[in-house]
Amino acid sequence: MFEHVLSVIIFLPILAGLILLATPASRSVARFTGLAVSLATLVLSLDLYAGFQATGHLEFVENIPWIESLGISYALGVDGISLFILMAGSVLLPLVYFVFGTREKGYYANLLLVQGAMAGAVCAADMILFYIFWEVMLLPVFFMLGLYGGPQRLPATLKITLYTIAGSLLMLAAIVYLGVSYHAQFGEWSFAMDKMAALNLTGRVAAVAFFGFMIAFAIKIPLFPFHTWLPDAYTEAPTATTFVLSAIMAKIGVYGVIRFVVPVFDLEFARFAILLAYAGVIGMMYCGLAAIAQKDFKRMLAFSSASHMGVIALGVFCMNIQALTGSIYQIVAHATSTGVLFLFAGILEERTNTRTIDDLGGIAAKAPVFALYFAIAMLASVGLPGTSGFIGEFMIVLGAIKFNTAVGVLAGTTLIIGVCYMLWMFQRVFFEKTASRSENFKELSLVEGLAFLPVILLIIVMGIYPHPFLSKITPSTALQFAQPASVVAQAPASNAQNLGLTIEQK
Amino acid sequence: MTNDLMLLMPLIIVGAGAILLMIASTYDKFTHELAAYGSAGVFAVAFLVQLSSCIAGNVAPFSEVFNGILVVSNFSKAAGLIILACGCFTALSSQTYFRRNNFCSPEYYSLTAFAAAGMLLLTMAQELISVFIALEIMSLAIYILVGYDRKNVISTEAVLKYLMLGAFAGAFFVMGSALVYGAAGSTKFVKIGQYLAANGMLHSPVMIGGAFFIMVAFLFKAAAFPFHAWVVDVYDGASVPVTGYMATALKTAIFAVFANFLVIDGALQHKWITFLFYISVLTMFVGNLIAIGQQSLKRMLAASGIVHSGYLLIALVAVGTKDFTGSVIAFYLAAYAASTLGIFTALSYLGGTGEARKTFDDFKGLAKARPYSAAAISIFLLSMAGIPPTAGFMGKFYIITSAIDAGQITLAVLGIVSSIISMWYYLRLIIAMYFHEASEQFDEPAPSSLAPVCTFILVLCVFAISLYPIAV
Repeated sequence: MFEHVLSVIIFLPILAGLILLATPASRSVARFTGLAVSLATLVLSLDLYAGFQATGHLEFVENIPWIESLGISYALGVDGISLFILMAGSVLLPLVYFVFGTREKGYYANLLLVQGAMAGAVCAADMILFYIFWEVMLLPVFFMLGLYGGPQRLPATLKITLYTIAGSLLMLAAIVYLGVSYHAQFGEWSFAMDKMAALNLTGRVAAVAFFGFMIAFAIKIPLFPFHTWLPDAYTEAPTATTFVLSAIMAKIGVYGVIRFVVPVFDLEFARFAILLAYAGVIGMMYCGLAAIAQKDFKRMLAFSSASHMGVIALGVFCMNIQALTGSIYQIVAHATSTGVLFLFAGILEERTNTRTIDDLGGIAAKAPVFALYFAIAMLASVGLPGTSGFIGEFMIVLGAIKFNTAVGVLAGTTLIIGVCYMLWMFQRVFFEKTASRSENFKELSLVEGLAFLPVILLIIVMGIYPHPFLSKITPSTALQFAQPASVVAQAPASNAQNLGLTIEQK
Repeated sequence: MTNDLMLLMPLIIVGAGAILLMIASTYDKFTHELAAYGSAGVFAVAFLVQLSSCIAGNVAPFSEVFNGILVVSNFSKAAGLIILACGCFTALSSQTYFRRNNFCSPEYYSLTAFAAAGMLLLTMAQELISVFIALEIMSLAIYILVGYDRKNVISTEAVLKYLMLGAFAGAFFVMGSALVYGAAGSTKFVKIGQYLAANGMLHSPVMIGGAFFIMVAFLFKAAAFPFHAWVVDVYDGASVPVTGYMATALKTAIFAVFANFLVIDGALQHKWITFLFYISVLTMFVGNLIAIGQQSLKRMLAASGIVHSGYLLIALVAVGTKDFTGSVIAFYLAAYAASTLGIFTALSYLGGTGEARKTFDDFKGLAKARPYSAAAISIFLLSMAGIPPTAGFMGKFYIITSAIDAGQITLAVLGIVSSIISMWYYLRLIIAMYFHEASEQFDEPAPSSLAPVCTFILVLCVFAISLYPIAV
């Protein structure tokens, strides 16, 4: 295997996207290029996955000094946490080119750009590099939403852009603060992520920096109460954008929490974990209840996605290995199930010209394969045993109960809400009497059926035999909690009655 | 002595070029297009000379010229490079602009070169009288350039406003210099610094008053609060290339001399830091408030220029007096100059006859008709807003880093809040260009290919500068 595989995974799509934008390529050329590049990326990532050693540390490291006077370098690497988010992107994105064949050139070009930028954000091992990719990630979304979105796209675009940029600029200040503190404490400049864990941060400014990071990631996830941009953006965005936002970009927010907040701000994190965990649970309940009331199935899925992100975030805030591993597992499970659901919603909308649940009915009789796929993805999303969603949610709830019984019980019982809105929606759309709009609903074509098949199989395999995946995740999550004992001893006991349970020792 | 002259070579080339252009323009055969090429050539040669002295030239980073009246440092060289590049791009885009707007004569380009000579002198000046002379060489040329369109009422109003206020600022500066000389017994920055170090700032009221007057003059020229009110009208009244030139080269020169003045007088900077802190915060937020309300693109860019002055003041507050290299300020100025000049260059060929397209609405749907121009403008706007991977982001990153490193965390956070606010009006233009249907065709061809080529080069500069690592 050659040396710079991560760079290729990042920059191949970006270059292809830029070239497409700069040349007057036709839409079929654009679609073909997009498909070819994303499949090439998929092959490279599969190769990466096969070569991944699961040591827990960063692998496939690349490190080229960039701004030496400030210790900023072009540093890349993946560990068990980032690998799975990277894989989710590589596996899922080719689907879009199979399913949606008649979009404009810019649509495919922006999709390629966002794919590269997301891979970059996940692989970056330097905070400045991470920040650059993190911001670049937003630009294609901005253009896709504004150019190809629904009728109410302009307010939605402005909302998501201003919200996200506000968060990320605060994060920039926090990143710089970390770099400067490192300079002050160790006498050398560095922005490398793995070195930041050595920092000893206390005091008010550290708490402010902690919130600088937390707010940026909470907006991206989105965590209650920063979720208000989500329903509009998810609903108005073209399907591929919603898919990218929900399946991968939201996960990068969680990834950021795991990567920056947990190791660096361990004390602040321990202090505020209970608050954040409740924010996760409240978001879960609130968005779940809101989902029940929706009349528009895309908007319902948007709320459902937000609700599930609350569960995943909760897993991170519980600060033990079970919950964290569950979170990462659930990231992949949620990316596959919700991502596929949004694509199906796009297909439904395209073929029936409506997003209203009441206008539809009886699709299962017209399109059995579509209904089957939809049912599997939906059941995975609600966490039925035997599907991928169950493993992750089970581990998160287990970890949550270990962390704080009340939180755990609330999280466990809230999961039932998901079953309510999903099954009810499924019943109204796929069964009951045939509505006029869905009378001529076309079944998935053979190409589409075959394109979705691997992902559907993945959902089931991950639900039945999770071990190969878990064995790659666990070493990295274990390392997250391998803090020196002194840190644990100092942890303020304000929230944690049982300190041993709050920060777990490995 | 030879060495001195070599270091001054760019200044000499630009000054001699300006005089030659002025003489040449008395001949009828010498059209304004020829003058444009001539002045661009002068700027290009001077730029190359400056570049060669940056790369190979004097090893000592800090050398006195003419008995300490002028100083050539890495910082002044970098500022000189920015000014010369701005001059060159301005000359080229003016050529395109004046294909559509016919109030040009060859003297225009001579005046551009004179202004640049004044700016170059300003970046090197280390003595109050030379600063004043340089300031006046620069300002006189700029006054004429602002009012070049004599038949235009707005332009005339702009020049009157600028001339009156600028004259006041000049008077303040001379008054301040006199008072400082009275207290310190010298007009050289170094001597003043030594006097301050020995006696302290608050020892003599004459010194306080003198320093205050000088600050007022600098803040006026730098368009900082509370001396910012002229900016919007003057930028709006001047023709597009002149506005671009003022917004970039002039600002570079002023901040160069401002930094030199504050840094050499370490004690002075220390005393004024709180004062500058508030000035900087107010400049940023007042500039943002003005920019949000604008309908005209030029006025918005003028107001955003005020905001960027605020960011540069952050850097001045944070600047360390020990081994000052000015790299943060120079980097930010370069990044800001590339993106601002880029927008004005694009406007010089997109604006239409008599600058018919002015407001945000006039540029609706530009992306459909002219995708490359719209993409270039978007890149410049993103750079001004500080979105990676553009130069503006790196500039802002360095400024925030130096501010936090100097312990000015509040200032850094306020700077960030201000740049969140500024996203609104930068995005507004992008949204108008991309997400709205075109109300007109934009189908007239660019009058000449020079300005589009310059725009393209500046796009490359925006990315190239961001990759260039600096030593902080």
